[in-house]
Amino acid sequence: MGLEKFKNRNVGTQNYKKLDLTHPPKSGWCRFKQVASRTFKPELFVGLWVTLREMINALFRGKMHTTQYPLEKLPISPRYRAIHEMLRLLESGHYRCIGCGLCEKICISNCIAMETRYDENQRKEVSEYTINFGRCIFCGYCAEVCPELAIVHGGRYENASEQRASFSLFEDMLTPIDKLNLQQEYQGFGAISPNADDNIKKTPLAY
Amino acid sequence: MSSLKDITITIDGKECKGEFGQTILEIARANGIYIPTMCYLTKVLPIASCRMCVVDVKGVDGFILSCQEKATDGAIITTQSQELYRERQNIMKLYNVNHPLECGVCDQSGECDLQNKTMEFGLDTQSFTAKDIARPIENWGYVSYDPSLCIMCEKCVRVSTEITGDEALKVKFGGYSSTIENIKIDKNFATLGEAASVCPVGALVDTNFKYSSNAWELTKIPSSCPHCGAGHDVIYEVKKGKVYRVSNEAEFSTMCSASRYGFDFANENIEKDTKAFNRAIEAFNSSETIIFSNEISNEEALILQKLKELKGYRLISHEARAYQRFMSAYSKISGKKLYRGDLKTLSKSQAIIIMGSRVNDDAPLVKYSINMASKHHRARVAYMHPIEDSNISNIVTQFIKYDAGSEEGVSALLVDILLRDIEVPSEIRDILNELDIGNLSAETNIGEEELDDLAKSLNKKVGYSLVIGADLYSHPRAENIARLLALLEKYAGFNIVAIPPAGNGMGISLICQLDDEVKGKTIGYNVKGDFTLSAFGGGDLDMPSLIQQEGTLTSIDKRVVPINVALDYGGYILNDIANALGLNSRYTVDYTKELPLDSGFKNIEFDSLPDSYSITGEENRGYILSEVDTKIDNKIEEPLEFEGIDGAVIYNCNPQEHFSPFTAKSKILKSKAYLLGSEQFAIASKLKDGNRVKFVIDNIEFDRVFKIDTSLKGTIALNPTYDMGLSTALLSSYRFNRLEKVGS
Repeated sequence: MGLEKFKNRNVGTQNYKKLDLTHPPKSGWCRFKQVASRTFKPELFVGLWVTLREMINALFRGKMHTTQYPLEKLPISPRYRAIHEMLRLLESGHYRCIGCGLCEKICISNCIAMETRYDENQRKEVSEYTINFGRCIFCGYCAEVCPELAIVHGGRYENASEQRASFSLFEDMLTPIDKLNLQQEYQGFGAISPNADDNIKKTPLAY
Repeated sequence: MSSLKDITITIDGKECKGEFGQTILEIARANGIYIPTMCYLTKVLPIASCRMCVVDVKGVDGFILSCQEKATDGAIITTQSQELYRERQNIMKLYNVNHPLECGVCDQSGECDLQNKTMEFGLDTQSFTAKDIARPIENWGYVSYDPSLCIMCEKCVRVSTEITGDEALKVKFGGYSSTIENIKIDKNFATLGEAASVCPVGALVDTNFKYSSNAWELTKIPSSCPHCGAGHDVIYEVKKGKVYRVSNEAEFSTMCSASRYGFDFANENIEKDTKAFNRAIEAFNSSETIIFSNEISNEEALILQKLKELKGYRLISHEARAYQRFMSAYSKISGKKLYRGDLKTLSKSQAIIIMGSRVNDDAPLVKYSINMASKHHRARVAYMHPIEDSNISNIVTQFIKYDAGSEEGVSALLVDILLRDIEVPSEIRDILNELDIGNLSAETNIGEEELDDLAKSLNKKVGYSLVIGADLYSHPRAENIARLLALLEKYAGFNIVAIPPAGNGMGISLICQLDDEVKGKTIGYNVKGDFTLSAFGGGDLDMPSLIQQEGTLTSIDKRVVPINVALDYGGYILNDIANALGLNSRYTVDYTKELPLDSGFKNIEFDSLPDSYSITGEENRGYILSEVDTKIDNKIEEPLEFEGIDGAVIYNCNPQEHFSPFTAKSKILKSKAYLLGSEQFAIASKLKDGNRVKFVIDNIEFDRVFKIDTSLKGTIALNPTYDMGLSTALLSSYRFNRLEKVGS
């Protein structure tokens, strides 16, 4: 197929229908009649009544047609990448992060900083964890690389705050312990695939 | 070594030349042929526990372990084939049985041999299995051991036995439940850090570093040891302006514990203080003497020397001065500016005499070399010292005790017995003949039969070494001792190592013209003076510590080795002062190429100093000082009679992991300084365990708590000096002193 056909913009049939519009007044008398009729007909109140009726329906009869942002938010796609969240283990309530440092390593804008230490239980403990949201480009690599699904993207997309620090500390991103039952499993990048169980190769257990 | 035979073998179709006695693996590595290994460690004897290094030798049934099999001339060897690959792959599978999948938190992740080899052999499935058992993590003090990560390669055991000689680690055999155990856990050896550094996995790691950072986040800055004087390689691993750990080329070299754990000695958060700097310039203009400690670089020493030439300062550095005087007397007999020996030759000797140094504490790297000689070459080791050292009793074959202060007599006796059948110039022979052996032996308290035993035991050995140390340098008759002992190098073929003072004592002694007497006002550099420049705080003007400087140090191997900046420093440095006083040099390292040629230094820019090891372990760091001939006068004297030091005696000696106030700053090294003595000493000095005692040496008042150490004998106590801050380097007298209590 050549390009010529595409260059022809006059496609379709050209059968426009002319509306039968009233003609503008011609004489001075006609113009006067138009002004007088528009002035004294109560058409304005017909329109105002429509607004009033819809307002009463929405506020008092529960027939709201719009989302009440910021009181109400639309559900966001699990693949949307907003402010990070730190998840907890559902059973123990302990945070999932093992301090492996992969998120820090993979971060292309170098906004993640963490420090770890040897704790009293001889485990690796995350002693400092911050994300500089002034630098973060919300690429999602950290969530994708996290082997424990500990750091994930949440749905909090309003990034206005009085201070950057107010949502960059580990504790701020961590699921509050009293809301553990509300913690949602992450479905975005890096989440395990729906058929993950089928892909597991079992270690031989001969004993 | 007698007649080395060159051999030629063919590896993978490539003709490779080697020497008779070399293993297949050594020849392959020297020729750039890769044979995978897991347990092989160049610096110890082949362990042969991993079987990864298998190769195929034509005409031989079955696979051959290339790490321990000596190559024979004309052998045809294949290192890569289908069967070998499968064999190695299976070995890797077995290593991975039940290996915890915790790479995410493991310290070794990123530099783990197991990770690397698992990837290399493409293992994605496991076909072997074993029921796992509980293996609790153990904390051994400086190091921690996680047996579930351990692959039983035995490298750590070999290092602890063959290199550091603490002999704390043992394999506990038990098939699948084998582990490494620490049989001297209560001693908490800092040298176990050396064992941890060779661990290919994360089983044995430094407790202080554990879980604090991933290996790949750390920037590695190569440098040299600023503490022990051996100038061995160190690598500072730095992140965000903080040293996280110190590593080294552990495949070939070993570090002293002070540099492994004593890395937090930087002078931090210093800004340019112009007022203090101006006061410093005034002080320099009004002072006549500069006193300094050993912890300065060669370049700084040269700056001080140039200032001396410019302004006529008197340079005082007690330990370096004593060493300088000793070596200068030594060279009058040997004809060379420095001793001939080095640590490598020492580690290959078959007979070693140690004299005048508590070597385990004074110079850990020398101790390692002696231990290597003992373990690899069954060396006879004679330890001559007033105090027996239980830490080296496992390698010492003969302990000869002499009275403190009688070193001159001991040297004469030693020279007499070892030179008995060797031709020496007549003027020396005359003096040796005149020695009153009976009297000397009575004075020194050494039995003649002890020396006869010593001479007899050395009889059939090849490669003699003599290690001498700081007791001799500060001895009142140091110069004659030096001349006597130099005879052994000159005429008996001894490989002599004169342990230089810790820090950069040798560099200072070669670069500076040191003076003996303090005159006028003093400037102290890391020492208390009328105006004090200090790299560890408490001074009038701050200076950078050796971790914050670039420059060079001079090592016990007579090597000039580079140090690099690991941590930032914002203040003034000695070069700024020197420039203000009339010298002109942009950087301190501009002086590297100006180091004195007549002391053996070479005209090489700092930036072109090499700093690496070859694949076969050849050290290529910096350069070796060239030999400088000196005038021989062959003058020795008969030993003078000496008055013994009786009663309770204290011996200035730091513990193995401490050298100077810089190591005292370390938070990781255990560092409570006690006066340690035996029960006999307690009786002689009327002290009880836990008593507080005050005494004075060289006008420095020590206030110590006395502790009884049951491993010590006799009436000599060990007095550490490293914690005395700016006073440490003011000590100048003989190391043995009578305990003179002051106060109550």
